[in-house]
Amino acid sequence: MIELINVTKEYQMGDTVVAALRGVTSSIGKGEFVSIVGPSGSGKSTLMNLIGCLDTPTHGRYVLAGEAVEKLSIDRLAEVRNTTIGFVFQTFNLLPRLTALENVEVPLVYAGVPRAQRREVARAMLERVGLPDRARHKPNELSGGQRQRVAIARALASKPAVLLADEPTGALDSVTGEEIMELFHTLHSEGSTIVLVTHEPELARRAERIIRMHDGEVV
Amino acid sequence: MRGITQWENTRISVRSIAGSPIRSALTALGVMIGVAAVIILVALGRGAQTQVESSLNSLGANLLIVYSGEPRGTALVRSNTANIRPTLSEDDLAMIRALPPELVLLSAPASTANVQLKFENRNIAASVVGTGPEYPEIRNFRPIYGSFFTEIDVERRSAVVLLGAQVYRDLFDPGRDPVGESVRINGVSYRVLGVMEEKGSAAQDSSVLIPISTFQRRVSGDSNYAMISIQAASSEVMREVQSVIEQQILRLHRLPSMEYADFYIANQMDLLSTVAGVAGTFTLLLASIAGISLVVGGVGIMNIMLVSVTERTREIGVRMALGARPRDITAQFLTEAVVLAIGGGIIGIALGITGSWVAMNMARTAAEVSIFSVVAAFGFSVLIGLFFGGYPAWRASRLDPIEALRYE
Ligand SMILES: Nc1ncnc2c1ncn2[C@@H]1O[C@H](COP(=O)(O)OP(=O)(O)OP(=O)(O)O)[C@@H](O)[C@H]1O
Ligand SMILES: [Mg+2]
Repeated sequence: MIELINVTKEYQMGDTVVAALRGVTSSIGKGEFVSIVGPSGSGKSTLMNLIGCLDTPTHGRYVLAGEAVEKLSIDRLAEVRNTTIGFVFQTFNLLPRLTALENVEVPLVYAGVPRAQRREVARAMLERVGLPDRARHKPNELSGGQRQRVAIARALASKPAVLLADEPTGALDSVTGEEIMELFHTLHSEGSTIVLVTHEPELARRAERIIRMHDGEVV
Repeated sequence: MRGITQWENTRISVRSIAGSPIRSALTALGVMIGVAAVIILVALGRGAQTQVESSLNSLGANLLIVYSGEPRGTALVRSNTANIRPTLSEDDLAMIRALPPELVLLSAPASTANVQLKFENRNIAASVVGTGPEYPEIRNFRPIYGSFFTEIDVERRSAVVLLGAQVYRDLFDPGRDPVGESVRINGVSYRVLGVMEEKGSAAQDSSVLIPISTFQRRVSGDSNYAMISIQAASSEVMREVQSVIEQQILRLHRLPSMEYADFYIANQMDLLSTVAGVAGTFTLLLASIAGISLVVGGVGIMNIMLVSVTERTREIGVRMALGARPRDITAQFLTEAVVLAIGGGIIGIALGITGSWVAMNMARTAAEVSIFSVVAAFGFSVLIGLFFGGYPAWRASRLDPIEALRYE
């Protein structure tokens, strides 16, 4: 599903070049639940952004679902993000003016799915994350945990091949975080491929596999 | 199948605009005022133009006037012709009358003099015009009371007179019937036939009209005419009539060219086109001033859109992460700018039409709303939305998704 071969990512900071990733080689199979851990600044988010096609590697190869990502056009990258990837962010990143249901619809809007069909899918997704009765609420009318559930429903809406979550429990208390993790495990058991970045060893251990990072490298 | 539809983009824009109604209204205000200004100013310009044209036409239809003497200014009707030495002869008039009806319908000679008018114990200075029975038709200047003198009066050199409206007021008490009364001109008694309609021009309202033959015999003692008024068959032949008459009078007066001419012809067409040209320039000037305010309105839209793009950086990042292509982001913000501009434009059109109506009905100003200005103002506001929304939209689409997501 995900194949990274000697991937590097460098940022130009004035005169100096900062290497966020220094030759990462790794692969994640379909249906796997992998967690990525490592100290702050070790390159976890950078790696997630690459996997999620929000960014492209400076060097190296990245093959996602059989497609060489480093060769893709900007538009095709957007399309891959839309259909193949589901993102869950630490800060939820819901659109504040839209209701929960409408937020879940957003990826489907960009996929060109007709309205009625979109509604139906979005409702099903909210149900799946356990929020069928909050469809008409705006994000600021929801608790943190509920917001993250909406965000997960949104990530699931386009039935992506991979679900990427960068510290999805980082902004939640431990009980709510636990509930969100339960949800991920349920989704995994239903067949989703999940890549999760976390600082909490406790949560990381419950994944099938742990990728440890240090200073831009997998250790 | 893939890709957001323009319909969805429009929904997103409308929601975003409705989400902050006051800001949106202020953003569109410039375009609103600009569009209203275009419509009102063009309406006023056109109203003025129509008014001037209709007042020119009220001088008479397809009017040409042959004047004695050197050309003076561009006025069609000269206010004072009393002190010009008349150079137009009976032969000149006969030549004009011999022209075919395809060119000339009517002609009337006229001469004027300043005289003393007396009725009972009232005494006023006035100008007397000697002319023919065709004069009312040619000059669109008719008796409002009584009747004009006839060809028979001209043949008999009758001592009859028609009074200008002001002359009537000065000589007669209000309501008194002047017809049949005797008025003395330079001491000679004339029977009053009627009163002329009020034209609002001092030259016409303060004059009296008598048969040309009577004028020549009793007032001037000169067989020449100061001017000849001509009604051409149509506006199309006016230039031709003018040049034919010029050539013929030059020949009759044995003059080589118009440079040496002792007469000149004022042509209503020339005047109309001059006035139309001036009024057109005036309208264009007003429209461009209003156009500038539209552009200023566009800058207002651009300003707010740039702020909006910055404020919504995170939203843009989220949309990109969820599959929006740069072009989708461009379309979203461009649509928002165009919807704002169109909204402003529609309200501006309503304001403009209302404003023109108010100018016409309350302020009694001539105003004519032109459909073209409405359509042009609307089209222009769409273009302004596209143009001034273009740069902010392009900026939005160029954002890096990761940086945009990180933006606080
Ligand atoms: N846009 C950028 N420009 C320059 N340097 C960057 C940029 N993004 C990341 N970096 C650098 O790359 C390195 C890795 O950053 P990254 O965000 O991937 O770390 P992380 O492992 O996610 O850390 P954390 O656990 O704190 O989230 C850091 O040293 C960071 O400073
Ligand atoms: Mg990180």
